Amino acid sequence: MSAPAPTGSLLRTRHLEFTVVGVLLVLLTVIFPLCNAHGLLSDFTITLWGKYLCYALLAISVDLLWGYTGLLSLGQALFFSLGGYMFGMYLMLQIGMLGSYAKAGQNPAGLPDFMVFLGHTFLPLFWRPFNSFGFAALMVFLVPGLVALIFGFLAFRSRIKGVYFSILTQALTYGAALMFFRNDFTMGGNNGFTDFKFILGHSLVEPDTGPATMRGLFVASALALLLVCLFCHWLNGTKFGLVRQAIRDGENRVLFSGYATANFKLFVFVVAAFIAAVGGALFVPQAGIINPDQMTPDKSIEAVVWVAVGGRGTLIGPIIGAITINALRSWATQAYPDSWLIILGLIFLLVVLFLPGGIVSLPGKLKALRGHKGKPAEPAATRA
Amino acid sequence: MITKFSKLLSVGALALVALVAAARAADTVKVGVLHDLSGTMAISETSLRDILLFTFDEINAKGGVLGKKIVPVIVDPGSVWPIFAEKSKQLLEVDKVAVTFGCWTSVSRKSALPVFEKDNGLLFYPVQYEGEEESQNVCYTAEAVNQQAIPAVDYFIAQGKKKFYLIGTDYVYPQTTNLVLLEYLLSKGVPLANIGGGYKKDGSGKIISAGKYTPFGHKDYQQIIAEIKDFASSGDACVISTLNGDTNPPFFKEYAAAGLTADTCPVVSYSIAEDEFRSLPAKDLVGQIGCWTYFQSIDSPENTKFLADFQAWLKTTTADGVVKEGRVVDSPMVLSYDGVYLWKACVEKAGSFDVDKVRAAWKSGVSFVGPGGKVTTQPNMHLTKTVYIGESKADGQFKILKTFPDVYGEPHLKGTFKAKE
Amino acid sequence: MVWKLFRPLLLCTLGVCVGLLANVRAMAAPETARATIVRAILTTDDAQKRAIINSLIGQGDEAIREVFTAWRQDNLYVYSAPGGAKVPVELTGDKDAAGTQAAVRVDTGEPLKDAAGQPLRLVAKQLTAVEHDAGLRRAMKNVVDLLDLGSPLPAKRLRAVQTIGFAQKADKLPALEARAGLETDTEIKKELKEAIALIHLADSDDGVKIKALAELQELHNSSSYDLINALKVKAETGGKPAVVAAANAALVAIENHRSVVKFFGTLFRGLSAGSVLLVVALGLAITFGLMGVINMAHGEMITVGAYATYITQNVFGEGMHFTLPFIKVAIHLPGLHLTGWAYQLYFVAAIPVGFLSAALVGIALERSVIRFLYRRPLESLLATFGVSLILQQLFKLTFGSNNVNVDSPVYLSSNWTVFDVTFDWNRVFVIGFAAVIVFGVWLALTKTPLGLLIRCVMQNRMMASCMGVRTERVNMLTFGLGSGLAGLAGVFVTQLGTVGPSMGQEYIVDSFMTVVVGGVGSIFGTVVSALGIGLADQSLQQILLNPVLGKILVLLAIILFLQWRPTGLFAARSRSLD
Repeated sequence: MSAPAPTGSLLRTRHLEFTVVGVLLVLLTVIFPLCNAHGLLSDFTITLWGKYLCYALLAISVDLLWGYTGLLSLGQALFFSLGGYMFGMYLMLQIGMLGSYAKAGQNPAGLPDFMVFLGHTFLPLFWRPFNSFGFAALMVFLVPGLVALIFGFLAFRSRIKGVYFSILTQALTYGAALMFFRNDFTMGGNNGFTDFKFILGHSLVEPDTGPATMRGLFVASALALLLVCLFCHWLNGTKFGLVRQAIRDGENRVLFSGYATANFKLFVFVVAAFIAAVGGALFVPQAGIINPDQMTPDKSIEAVVWVAVGGRGTLIGPIIGAITINALRSWATQAYPDSWLIILGLIFLLVVLFLPGGIVSLPGKLKALRGHKGKPAEPAATRA
Repeated sequence: MITKFSKLLSVGALALVALVAAARAADTVKVGVLHDLSGTMAISETSLRDILLFTFDEINAKGGVLGKKIVPVIVDPGSVWPIFAEKSKQLLEVDKVAVTFGCWTSVSRKSALPVFEKDNGLLFYPVQYEGEEESQNVCYTAEAVNQQAIPAVDYFIAQGKKKFYLIGTDYVYPQTTNLVLLEYLLSKGVPLANIGGGYKKDGSGKIISAGKYTPFGHKDYQQIIAEIKDFASSGDACVISTLNGDTNPPFFKEYAAAGLTADTCPVVSYSIAEDEFRSLPAKDLVGQIGCWTYFQSIDSPENTKFLADFQAWLKTTTADGVVKEGRVVDSPMVLSYDGVYLWKACVEKAGSFDVDKVRAAWKSGVSFVGPGGKVTTQPNMHLTKTVYIGESKADGQFKILKTFPDVYGEPHLKGTFKAKE
Repeated sequence: MVWKLFRPLLLCTLGVCVGLLANVRAMAAPETARATIVRAILTTDDAQKRAIINSLIGQGDEAIREVFTAWRQDNLYVYSAPGGAKVPVELTGDKDAAGTQAAVRVDTGEPLKDAAGQPLRLVAKQLTAVEHDAGLRRAMKNVVDLLDLGSPLPAKRLRAVQTIGFAQKADKLPALEARAGLETDTEIKKELKEAIALIHLADSDDGVKIKALAELQELHNSSSYDLINALKVKAETGGKPAVVAAANAALVAIENHRSVVKFFGTLFRGLSAGSVLLVVALGLAITFGLMGVINMAHGEMITVGAYATYITQNVFGEGMHFTLPFIKVAIHLPGLHLTGWAYQLYFVAAIPVGFLSAALVGIALERSVIRFLYRRPLESLLATFGVSLILQQLFKLTFGSNNVNVDSPVYLSSNWTVFDVTFDWNRVFVIGFAAVIVFGVWLALTKTPLGLLIRCVMQNRMMASCMGVRTERVNMLTFGLGSGLAGLAGVFVTQLGTVGPSMGQEYIVDSFMTVVVGGVGSIFGTVVSALGIGLADQSLQQILLNPVLGKILVLLAIILFLQWRPTGLFAARSRSLD
């Protein structure tokens, strides 16, 4: 049932691809911030691209599951947001006495504004340790990882796969979003977390020091992406990586060969949750807000689309997809606000129908077309 | 050859365009419009974009602001909250607009606010909101809680209602409004047992939330309506609803089907204006209460002229995506309209587009007689305006029952009302 | 024929007779309310005035309210006719330049006329105003309060009884008791008993209170709960154990009754919520369950049905026009301008319209997109998600981003109340509707030749093709059927919720859950799971008193349930692997 991604020559081009990704990311890590520091690139652009890089992390986590392991998760936005929320809790507590209530002298305990809003007078117990950056950073991994571990364990143990897995992950993220939307949950409700001021003592908003902090966050995002790419590249080369792809292409055969596929899948699922969570944690201070809208099922599906558009089963595909679609959104919502969703929808449709390999397969396709001039191209749709 | 020539030509053309743009920039002023034109909130905010375009055209036709024509920069955050921060940044840092008109939901304002504070921009916010905020970078033309929620409750108390059922969508505006109303009702001597919808206490026994909450997009109100019916069986109850737009049709359809009417148990809805009313079965809802600082049915020369001008503009405009038929006007639209004129008045008073000077002019008190009556700016960035209570009619308009002139906008209400012991 | 001829004649005669009777003012005919008021106005003694006004208690004539309002607003005057007769009149309307106003006779409610039969206009200042004092005003208010008690409309009487009861004023007791003797409506009788008991609750004598409490205990009506509770609190502080005990007994009786009502109410609501889920998910049970296509645009098929209903409604009414986006083609649908029942039937007409339009959109979708993706189910998810975005935006550009209103026809907008459990007609209808379409689908799938073909193609597309079945066509029709069913759901949900461009999104997760829990490929499973989820959802809401927590728990339960039965309740068994 599950279709192998059209990446036949992957192994041969793997190193080439990795080199390209690596070089690009290193350039990004160095050149963008340098340009920004010398006024060649606006602060606006840096923050925008910082967010794109976080989205790219989310896309890679989807790709790791879908492109490499054949598990289409519609719940990756949940892990992205959980990471964001965990880090957001730290950022919220950093606001301290700079919140609008504290300024008005109505918040002696220095609670986050939304709690004062709802009449809380003391910090709920589970919030307290988040004063520490280290604890929050740990939680960025632990909480999403634990959710993934429990859900994955249950799901893979009872051999839920294919479409069922997708729909269940969708239900999971839907349920979580409903939970976070509740104001009683003391996670900010629909408004979520916003108005961050400091990260590790560096101001996010001061006119003179803020841009430097943003630059730092950009570099951190680029480095995180680079590290994740490095890790994925390494993983692809291991035996583990090969088994994983075998699971994608024919799980039962792998199972019959004596591999405990459930454990392999569980491991990948948890690792993907980590990657998405890191993306989320870096996204929050740059976007300036996290709220439950970020974990609704459509956000997850959108991330899947980035991967499909970029090219699944490749390292560079998800990065290209995430950046292209989001850049397109930034532009089109201003130029064609009425048609933007139609454009996006058409992109999905056309990519699925005519370009299953995504943008990265475009050069190959063009080459093939050129090579077989006269011969009609094989219709994409009939390919399994 | 040809390519070289065409290159030369294009460079020349570019230079020309740049020159023209520079010349034009001298007699224009850029103004940001930050409303959702796609996604879930487009339903409400598209109308605000339209009214803003109309107002800009009206002002430009009369010579603009300080002799400069307004050029709107319209961006669409698409109902995605982080994008509000991104688009605000773009408006302030890339387009360098003089002022921005925008936002509807609390969360969108909260997302944009830090950017406006950081870059010292000015945001005009036109939609009823929860208060508890007084940013120096926001001009709240919106209704504060005391300009909407409290007059309506007073009205019900005067009508002899003794029981109040609080229901809302689970987000900040209803949560805060209901907390303020709870304090207010208790201060009026209404016992806690007569306030329906439940409440929640924190560890120390302090009430931190009152009322029944449903999520956005909730569809099934059977259970809640059954509860309200039971609550209202004594005939002296009313419902105070802060349900958000989309959840109103299922709520009211269930309400009508269960046999409840404005006679047995009236509902005041703070989030239903004329625009939202179009999606509701108006004939089943005759006599329900609305409370705003503007109703389309206001009979004043300013309003008559405004309505006629807007309809005429709709007929002739060539702007993209403006629906031309069946349009109504409601409070958020008029407050957007008032906002633009107040900004113009502040700029003219300050003699400059500089944000700090415009703010100072705002704080000094500037008035404008709009379609809803006179509005005056206050030092706390809010507005003094007239509050109307209206009763819905079968045609989706409101019949005005009561008018409260010159109500001072008071954002900080929590803790103001003390319960009678 | 003969009757038709005679009727006017008969009516004329009757009219003349009545006229004569009125003229003679026969003693047999009772005095009208207006005449009584005139008598009160012309009486000079204040005590007698009040007595006459009090004699109006128990009458239901609306004229009383009108005249009393005019009286209290100082609009009544006494006009001395040329013959010397004193005629009380009400001055109404705007004053003209000379200060004159139209005059209406209080005794008849007709305009005052001079000898020539011309309406007279009078100047207020030249007449004697009819005075009123506090005592009189109280008497008038009392009469007006009790006015509805005699109203011919049962609903008005019911309300009046309730209002009087809850006010707990002993002076209204005689009026209520008088009414109790006359009342025939059983519901109002019960209400009268309650009101009398409630007034007795405020009595100073504990014995009367306890008796009233016993009465209320027997009636166990939810509405008296608050007053009994208040009394109980007062009695507790006052140290009256007998009253407290009686009050407790009454409260327990009411609570027991409430929990019974809640139980059956929840059962009914669960059934109806389940039916909504079923109606919404049935189409998906076919496209996803049988065909294996993950149709994320299923919600938009529901929207198509809903907008079809909206259009049908407008065509039955005033007609509508809209412009198709991009191609800018303006479409004008003329209205049929129907009214009354003919208009109300629009909903019946919308059912086939909704089915067909959604089926057509579905077939177009199948031909253009889905047929390429039968072997790639996960990718059908992505493609149809794209389609869903496109359709939503197209709806928005065509019908505007605002939600639209679909009226409830009269036959769906009321309710039956049986033992205090409310059965909304629209909810009863959805249960019936669900039953009918499930039966219809079952018939279509098992008893028709097409159903046979559908089942065989869905079981093994390749083999069916080898046997000469035109699988392409069967695929197309099956998808059309599934989409059409979604369209039917759309027609129905216009009666329950919002109709707007994004409405379909709200149903999509629920639909998939229902189908997966029921077991993909089993229509019967979908039925069981829809009803199960609906009941669980409503009961949890009732228990937790929170609409969201219930939903979250149901989602969690579903996830856990699927651990136990990964293929759902009624899975189609298969030995095939991958």
